[in-house]
Amino acid sequence: MDIELAQIRPKLGDVEYNLEKHLEIIQTSSADCIIFPELSLTGYVLRDLVYEVFKEAEKAVTKIVDNSKCVIFGTIKEVRSGILRNSAVISIEGNYDYIYKFYLPTYGLFEERRYFQPGDPLSDVKIFKYKGINFGVVICEDAWHPEPIEALALKGADAVFIPASSPMRRLEENLLIENNWESLIKAHSLMYGIWTAFVNAVGSQEEEYFWGGSMVSSPQGTIKVRARKFEEDRIFTKIDLEDVRKARFFSSFRDHNRDFHRLLSNL
Amino acid sequence: MQSVLQELKNVNYSVISEYIIRRISEYITESGKNGGIIGLSGGIDSSVTTVLLSKATQNYFILLMPSSSTPQKDMEDAKKIINMIGANNKYKIINIDTILESFKNEIKTNDKLVLGNIKARIRMILLYAYSQIMNYLVIGTGDKSELLLGYFTKYGDGGVDILPIGDLYKTQVRELGRYLGLPEDIVTKPSSPALWEGQTAEGELGVSYDIIDAVLYLRVEKMMDIDSIAKELQINVDIVRKIDRMVKTSQHKRLPPEIFRLSGRAINSDWRYPREWI
Repeated sequence: MDIELAQIRPKLGDVEYNLEKHLEIIQTSSADCIIFPELSLTGYVLRDLVYEVFKEAEKAVTKIVDNSKCVIFGTIKEVRSGILRNSAVISIEGNYDYIYKFYLPTYGLFEERRYFQPGDPLSDVKIFKYKGINFGVVICEDAWHPEPIEALALKGADAVFIPASSPMRRLEENLLIENNWESLIKAHSLMYGIWTAFVNAVGSQEEEYFWGGSMVSSPQGTIKVRARKFEEDRIFTKIDLEDVRKARFFSSFRDHNRDFHRLLSNL
Repeated sequence: MQSVLQELKNVNYSVISEYIIRRISEYITESGKNGGIIGLSGGIDSSVTTVLLSKATQNYFILLMPSSSTPQKDMEDAKKIINMIGANNKYKIINIDTILESFKNEIKTNDKLVLGNIKARIRMILLYAYSQIMNYLVIGTGDKSELLLGYFTKYGDGGVDILPIGDLYKTQVRELGRYLGLPEDIVTKPSSPALWEGQTAEGELGVSYDIIDAVLYLRVEKMMDIDSIAKELQINVDIVRKIDRMVKTSQHKRLPPEIFRLSGRAINSDWRYPREWI
């Protein structure tokens, strides 16, 4: 399966503009499946604007679904009246479903719990299939915890896509957050023998600045493709099952010990 | 002390300058303005910010706004920066003494602090007047050390549209200046608002920016307590207390004016819409 990572610069709260951008990329892409960043239809640093844009975003979802083969993008879903979730839409050949963010960051600059309800792992861990590839999707912060991706891999995912909105922060010798994400996605790939694709937003939203730098790790833990920093970019790669197979022949992924999770559940 | 300063300085100035230049440029575009206007004093902060602005856009304009308390050296240094970036047709000198004089006649005071703050606010008014004429943004030059200490005039040099180097400590700004190729005497020049003759930031505070920055860095970034900082830096705990006190008492200068909440959604405290309203 050929995938495209659409590293876009969403305009905060401007669903109409963001929708047009999605449609333009979908219409001009040669990939089988396109992945957009977290909350790509709305922008991330919405604060109270959340309450004003979620309905328009929900309407925009169907427009994307009707005009695409396989696309993954970020939006806000009202799961019950007044209960909103940070979501990704997985749209495949006219059918679509939502996945929800499980871990909502509230540390540092993030304040997601103020606006969103987290997903429920017992009902919301889902696997999708397209062009022979089983894949799962986790949103940003979920990749900073081992369980969501491990659960997807054990449920059969060959690839995990991570729509994200990762802002610049903490001046260090280098762009530390970029190194962190690279380590994270390589680690997930190596531990579970999967393709891992991180798709970041780019550009400013209020004081926050999203640095881009989207990248894909092969199951062998090699960065196959990398987008530019600080600019919109579109990058492509092929998700090949053969790499998954080979990685798992030579990894300990099959040796999952569930007693550790029993232990964790009591801690 | 040296190891803390080393840690503080050891950031990637190439990434930082690329980031700041890009953000200035994008912010100008996003706010629907045609460019940026900046007040250049010849000090390190405004020199660095001017160079960054000149790299972010061709559409910039520089005001030099000296008064009788402005050292001649500062004007010479400002000219050096103007030459360095090739801005000979993009600047104007406005001496603010006569404007200050009419304020002075009206309020009848010689208090240097009052008059010093008026100078800073006159400069702000001039910058905004030009910004409106040219449809430019006012580019602020404050750094993180000054902002944290409250070492700026509210609605004076604090009255700006953006603060591009506002998250860099003074010692980092100096390093960034070196990286950008500024003349070494500007890079190392003692920091001074020059609101009255002989005024220097360090003289007024009684400690060097090396100490101030090391203290601020450990307090703000490393979240260390006052006693541990004094111990770590081997300095008198009273210095740390003084700096900490300045940060606390100046908080009101960094925030928008307080609105007393009555309704269900008061502006600022509840009403959390972003600035990027559409």
